[in-house]
Amino acid sequence: MPDERPSDESRAQAARPPQLAPEERAPRGPSPSIDATAERDPDDVLAAQEKSAVEALEATGRPESARSLSSDAWHDLRRNPVFLISALLILFLIVIAIWPGLIATRDPLYCRLGRAYEEPSAGHWFGFDNQGCDVYTRTVYGARASIAVGVCATLGVTLLGAVVGGLAGYFSRFWDPVLSRTTDIFFAIPMVLGAIVFLSMIKLGSIWPVVLVITVLGWPQIARIARGAVLSAKQNDYVHAARALGAGNTRILLRHILPNAIAPVIVMATIMLGTFIVLEATLSFLGVGLRPPTVSWGVDISAASDGMKFRNAPHILLYPAAALSLTVLAFIMMGDAVRDALDPKLR
Amino acid sequence: MSQQTERAAAPLLQVRDLRIEFRTRDGIARAVNGVSYTVEAGETLAVLGESGSGKSVTAQAVMGILDMPPGRITGGRILFRGRDLLAMAEEERRKIRGDRIAMIFQDALSSLNPVLSVGYQLAEMFRVHRGMSRGEARARAVELMDRVRIPAARERVNDYPHQFSGGMRQRIMIAMALALEPDLIIADEPTTALDVTVQAQVMDLLAELRREYRMGLILITHDLGVVADVADRIAVMYAGRVIENAPVADLYASPAHPYTKGLLDSVPRLDHKGGELYAIKGLPPSLMAIPSGCPFHPRCPQAQDICRTDRPPLYPVGPGRTSACHFWKETLDAASAADLAR
Repeated sequence: MPDERPSDESRAQAARPPQLAPEERAPRGPSPSIDATAERDPDDVLAAQEKSAVEALEATGRPESARSLSSDAWHDLRRNPVFLISALLILFLIVIAIWPGLIATRDPLYCRLGRAYEEPSAGHWFGFDNQGCDVYTRTVYGARASIAVGVCATLGVTLLGAVVGGLAGYFSRFWDPVLSRTTDIFFAIPMVLGAIVFLSMIKLGSIWPVVLVITVLGWPQIARIARGAVLSAKQNDYVHAARALGAGNTRILLRHILPNAIAPVIVMATIMLGTFIVLEATLSFLGVGLRPPTVSWGVDISAASDGMKFRNAPHILLYPAAALSLTVLAFIMMGDAVRDALDPKLR
Repeated sequence: MSQQTERAAAPLLQVRDLRIEFRTRDGIARAVNGVSYTVEAGETLAVLGESGSGKSVTAQAVMGILDMPPGRITGGRILFRGRDLLAMAEEERRKIRGDRIAMIFQDALSSLNPVLSVGYQLAEMFRVHRGMSRGEARARAVELMDRVRIPAARERVNDYPHQFSGGMRQRIMIAMALALEPDLIIADEPTTALDVTVQAQVMDLLAELRREYRMGLILITHDLGVVADVADRIAVMYAGRVIENAPVADLYASPAHPYTKGLLDSVPRLDHKGGELYAIKGLPPSLMAIPSGCPFHPRCPQAQDICRTDRPPLYPVGPGRTSACHFWKETLDAASAADLAR
């Protein structure tokens, strides 16, 4: 009896609303004794169900505040350890780029030849380089030039690329052929080679020639991505709707297309930032980027990199190189995390 | 002032012999082949037809949002209060769009920008066309949301489109179209994406607001049920032409074109439950190769030799009625007889 399916009698009872609950509680084998509880149970059960439904509604109902794509992305990012680690690193790097004095109290340009090649010691954690300068202090101060080049070049590249790509994508009939072929021409110039040629023609010293060269040679990548994003955003119904409601080109482009096309550009820009820092180091290493007395990781790596020095005192090379790698890693991790959060296709 | 009275005499919207083609890789698709219809102020015209009959393309041409290229207007005129929209400068036209003629789209979710709040998108109308301040426009947006009966409009004004249900989104689209109290609204299948109960609510709301604001309405649809309640006149389109144009009651009582009759017969009826559903045989013609003579002849049960060779003009078949069928009289008589028998 207890293992049988509910009898016809109990099913008939179940069909009546108040007795729906007992069948749930005792799905198989209703015995006469349960009938007694069934008389008082339904109200409790219904009340409990109602209460839990209300709770569920409160818990999962409308989000407390409006959530757009960007707040959605932020919600995702906050839970992503890759993002958190890279964000902390980048924050730290930016802080020491602005205020290197916070963690390095010496002068990076104060060097005593007598202490050249000295090994790391208690007061001088990273040792001394071939000029007798403190490697720790120089590594900390080097962050400023590297990050400044990276950030400024990325800003320049993104602005130029997004404007050219956006116009090519939006006014695709008239401007696209011209702008896209221009993009192709710049795309064809090898970055390092082009930078060497350009930089060897100008007087070096500050970071600006390097930033300019990277901007001029780097924008086509962003332009291609921006063009594609605008072309696809332009097809959306809401763009037609905005036009049907009387919005002009400027408003459509800035208010309706830009926010919907910017995500891939942001992602690309974050990843490119890391590569630009490497590029600055490469150019400085080759002697056409930054030059002493400017303190930068590339300059120090270059100074430390001949074989003899490396064999005798590897720390001169290793510390600035490690700082460079860590910075690039942080920006690339950040780019990855941001892409995961912003790209709807990866969701 | 005299100019204004003159304009008031002209119908609200007149589409005259409009022709639109699309250049595609496979050839030229003639989507619209001489469409003419008129909407008077305060009148509701339903444009009825299958997919590909040119009803939406005509509406896009009226709005000036046709994708050109590949689309191309090869002939005809669109007169709004007597002024030819096609001859206007783009800047002048843009001022009419949204302000004097507004459009409601089929799919409200994709027609609202996902990254902007609905309040912003509503307020944008006032800021673009009326130059209102941010706060003032925002207040008007809330007012409008109240108008289209969105509950708790004040709290929801900052919500994003995906946070609204389908019916609510369509109400917001209606609110956007109504914002500047236009003279003419074009609703392109406004209820197709909604479920039936919500459809009725949205249609009722639209009809009510239209009466209140005394606007002209072009209702593009393939749903005969929606049309009957709301429209004053119906223009039936087939292969890029209007083939029958009639007051709604006349058309339902006695269609004067075999295609219209086929459409009406294919509506499922409760009193025919269990019986086989009527379907017009064949497929709509390819717009690349529209049949000679009457474009409907390959599918028409009454086709004669003349239908294969001669394109029927729009015959006047009654007061305010036209039909593009050589045998409109026979069709009309048969329909009236059937109506009497019923």
